[in-house]
This record gives sequence, C-alpha cells and structure tokens, in this order.
Amino acid sequence: MRAQIFSSILRASARPSALGGARTGPLLARFSSSHAQESFESFTDRYVKFFQNAEDLFEVQRGLNNCFAHDLVPAPSVIEAALRASRKVNDYATAVRIFEGIKEKVENKTQYQAYLDELKPIREELGITLKEELYGH
Amino acid sequence: MQANLALRLARQTAFRRSLHLRGLATSTTANAAHIAAESSSSSSVSASSRDASLIPLSNVEAQWATLSGEEKTAVHEQVEVLQKKDWKLLSLDEKKAAYYVAFGPHGPRAPVSKPGDSLKIFAYTMALVGAAGILSIALRQFGGPPPKTMTTEWQEAENARAREMNINPITGVSSPDYKGKGFVH
Repeated sequence: MRAQIFSSILRASARPSALGGARTGPLLARFSSSHAQESFESFTDRYVKFFQNAEDLFEVQRGLNNCFAHDLVPAPSVIEAALRASRKVNDYATAVRIFEGIKEKVENKTQYQAYLDELKPIREELGITLKEELYGH
Repeated sequence: MQANLALRLARQTAFRRSLHLRGLATSTTANAAHIAAESSSSSSVSASSRDASLIPLSNVEAQWATLSGEEKTAVHEQVEVLQKKDWKLLSLDEKKAAYYVAFGPHGPRAPVSKPGDSLKIFAYTMALVGAAGILSIALRQFGGPPPKTMTTEWQEAENARAREMNINPITGVSSPDYKGKGFVH
C-alpha cells in the first residue's frame, strides 16, 4: 500500500508538469545584431569631415587606415579630402600612398582608371605623381 | 599601456611642433613673409651645399641599407623640409626619395622572400621527392618476388573453394547472379 503510493508520487514527479512546459523561447534576448547600418553617404560625410579637421600626420594616417579598412572603396570626395589633409601636414609620401591604397581596394583596372580620371584635377593641382609614374611599372 | 603612453607622447610632440609652426605664421605677416622669402632663398643655397656634404637624394634607394642611423635621420629631416615646398616644384628624384623614406621596402615593409626564392623552393622539393622515389625503387630491388598467394591461379582456386563452401551466398561469391571478381585482385 505504502509502496504503491510512493511509486505513484515518484511517477507524478517524473512526468513533465504543465507549468514547467509552458516556458517557451530563450529568456535572454540578444540585441547585438540590431545596430543601425551606416549608409555610404554618411560614411563619406564622416570621413570628409575627419580629414578636413585632421591636425597632424598621425591623425591623417589613422583616418586613412580606418576608412580603407571597410568593405568599400572610399568615395572620391573622401580621397580628395585626404589628399588635401596630406598637403596640409606636408606629407607627399602619404598622398602617393593613398592612390596605392585605391589600387588595392578597387576590383579591376577600369575602376582604378575611373578614380584616376575623377581625381585628375586635384592630382594636377597638388602635383601628386603616382607610384607607377615614379617607378615606371 | 606603455605603447599607449608612447603614442600620446608622440602626438604631443607633433602637436607642439604644429603649434610652434602656427605661432611663426601668426607673427606679423610682413615680417613672416620676409623671413619666408629669406629662408627660401637661403635654403636653396644652403640645401645645395648641404646636399653635397650630406647624402644625395638621387639614389637613396640604393644607399639606404648602408646608411647609419644618424644619416637616416638626416635624410628624414631633409625630406621633411622638401615636402613643405609646393609639390609641383619637386623633382622626380626628390619625390622618389620622399616616398621611399616613408613607404619603401625597408624595415617592417621589407619583402619576406627574395625574387628567386619560390623557384629554389620548388627545385629543392622536386629533388627531395625524386630522392625518395629513387630510394623506394632501390629498396624494391632487394625485395623478393610477390608471394604465391598473389598469383591469379591461386586466387581463382580460392574463388572455386569459396563457391564449394557456399561462402556469402546472398550477396557474395556464391550468390546465383554474382558478377564481381571474388578473391581475384
């Protein structure tokens, strides 16, 4: 008799209760994926402003490292701002290096040529020679 | 922490230098212009005389590896002064020197391998593989003939014995519509 009661209690406790099964879904919701995606235009604005305000060579090169680290080729306006910034801090080598960076980032030669054509005025204005023109390859 | 501090120091010195420059620029403009004109005229003279005594910028690339620390610093300073001029007035050599000093293939940007290296690695790999092949063939020369159980007759006899013993009667050698080779390799 007592053994029977005992076993029925055990069986009842082994059965999943209705209350326990009501918990559905994870309690911890993660919102790490809900960042606002920065648009290309705001990215461009941000870096144009950054390069216009850059004070020294360190800042310019830091900004270049950052804006070339994204999965996009910076817009010509950003490049122009960066070139003017490197003129401001008197660093010719960085200006040449920027074009080298573009060459690395673009997908093919026509895109690189398009960038060169687009930036031809400022290249002539500042007197920037490309690395290819410097070393002839 | 230390690197952070070093960075901050570097930036501070750069900032002080720029302040200093700006201080010069904002002193009485007529005076500043006068100084600038004087310095540019004198610098062209002194630069040429200094270039002769110092390192010529025309082939810094070739000399760079042999230059001492102080000479490198001198070239750095020389190039830094040069880059303050209008860039359109720089000669090709000066531009090359400025680029090479900053981003040339030296120090951390030195190439990891020399031009002929990959060919050398390929040749050595092929030589080692060839030596291993020759060693294998040579060792086989000393081995005896294959054992008698590896002959076709023996293996066909094995098949016959297997059918006789009705081995694997559902899917194997002894099954009615068997098409495989049985024990024959």
